[in-house]
Amino acid sequence: MTDSLRRIAALTRHNTILRLRDPGPFLSYLVMPMVVMLALQPVYRRAFPDGTIQIATGMLVIFSVLALSIVGTATLTERSWHTWDRLRSTPVTITELLLGKMLPVYAVLVLQQSILLVYGITILGMRPSDTYWLPVVAIAVWGATLLAVGAALAAVVRSHGELSAITDIGALVLTTLGGAFVPTTTFPHWLQAVAPASPGYWAMRMLQAALRGDVPETLAPALVLLLVGGSAAVFACWRLSRDWGRATMV
Amino acid sequence: MLHADNVVKSFGALRALDRFTLDVAAGEIVGLVGHNGAGKSTFVDVLCGLVRPDSGKVTIGGRPPRAARSDVGVAPQQIALYLSATAREHLRLFGHLAGLRRRTLATATDEVVDALRLADFLDQRVGLLSGGQQRRVQAATALLHRPRLLLMDEPTAGADPQTRQSLLTALRRRADAGTAILYTTHYLPELADLGATVAVAQRGRIIARGTSEHLLDGLPGTVCLRTDGAEEVRMRTTDPARTLLSLLANARGEIHEIDIHKPSLDDLYHSLAG
Repeated sequence: MTDSLRRIAALTRHNTILRLRDPGPFLSYLVMPMVVMLALQPVYRRAFPDGTIQIATGMLVIFSVLALSIVGTATLTERSWHTWDRLRSTPVTITELLLGKMLPVYAVLVLQQSILLVYGITILGMRPSDTYWLPVVAIAVWGATLLAVGAALAAVVRSHGELSAITDIGALVLTTLGGAFVPTTTFPHWLQAVAPASPGYWAMRMLQAALRGDVPETLAPALVLLLVGGSAAVFACWRLSRDWGRATMV
Repeated sequence: MLHADNVVKSFGALRALDRFTLDVAAGEIVGLVGHNGAGKSTFVDVLCGLVRPDSGKVTIGGRPPRAARSDVGVAPQQIALYLSATAREHLRLFGHLAGLRRRTLATATDEVVDALRLADFLDQRVGLLSGGQQRRVQAATALLHRPRLLLMDEPTAGADPQTRQSLLTALRRRADAGTAILYTTHYLPELADLGATVAVAQRGRIIARGTSEHLLDGLPGTVCLRTDGAEEVRMRTTDPARTLLSLLANARGEIHEIDIHKPSLDDLYHSLAG
């Protein structure tokens, strides 16, 4: 193992410990959507042809976006604890630091979405196609997008309060616009035209296509999301490699 | 070991370092003193590779700071620890990041645990420790990998006497083993305890540099005489013996007490920095 991999492994292990010591947010973003799915499933089944898929993927997208706060907090805490500059004073590079920081958080996001999907299948009776690898790809892509957007957010906000406000408001606006509550086909025309501006729209399209087993309809939104995530990741790396640690913390 | 030559760093209109020049040799402890805002912490940030100077040259063991990070141990001014992780987990993390492997890490951990007396709270979460204990953990993460240069930025701020003493002893031992140490502080008696040479910073530059004896030479001390017939007589003087004789010759009544205060680093600091 190279020195670089050893440092990434050390950071990953350390950050995994930190995540395990603070399971509250993960559990709440896991239990809440389960309860909502169960309560609203009968209504959705009556209201929409694919009501079960709509409620399962919709809640998955909404609560996975809300889980952005986990990504943001994981990064922002480094600043409030003054550990970011301390780490940068060691031989670790910014790429190693971000990988070690983000891998455990990525695991949390993927785990949350996987459990919700399995819950939708086993408890709500959702029937996915036989193309099992497609939902796996969809979850991996959506998790990576959220991770990058969360890191970018954490790089610009000045406090945990600011982060919380942005993730709460942003999550509800973007997922509503993306059709997570009700399909975008029920929107007024002008809102339907705006919907693709939301990453939630592409996430919904990708997840629903993946469950139907539609490969092209899964991969096209996945590419859009990877573009969004890639841009956010580049921004986050650029911002965090500068004097972010010394920036003013409210 | 550390060589900084005419380093300049500005933050907007503020010139934090203004031709800052300082050398620290292997085995030497340099006490960097100065008012708040004198540039001490900015200089430490430059040495850590966190801040890039606008001009000037800085090398650590002949290499630029970012390339020499494995040779440097840092204890920053603020507590920089993961409150939900234990002291042992901190040592493991920073040991691995410094390139220590299992056996060497275990040996190094035992060494700093013993030197800084961490054993009683090694497996407690740092957030539950006292300020002094946190200071010790922080210092341990800096000392762990036996760096060639130690940067201790006010490491005893808010620490109890026991913490201060154990840290100073550990640092003195490291210096004796050849480690170069830059030690910033506002508490000047610590520098005497460490046997440190002194560098006085003011407005981003070093205005005095040398051994305590050299810098104190020529500074006035104080001679104080108390008698039962007169009030206390106190005189500042560069020649205590002659001044004392003069005071004794003119004293009335029985002499109760004679105090001779040599000039201290505090006096030096005040005379230079104002």
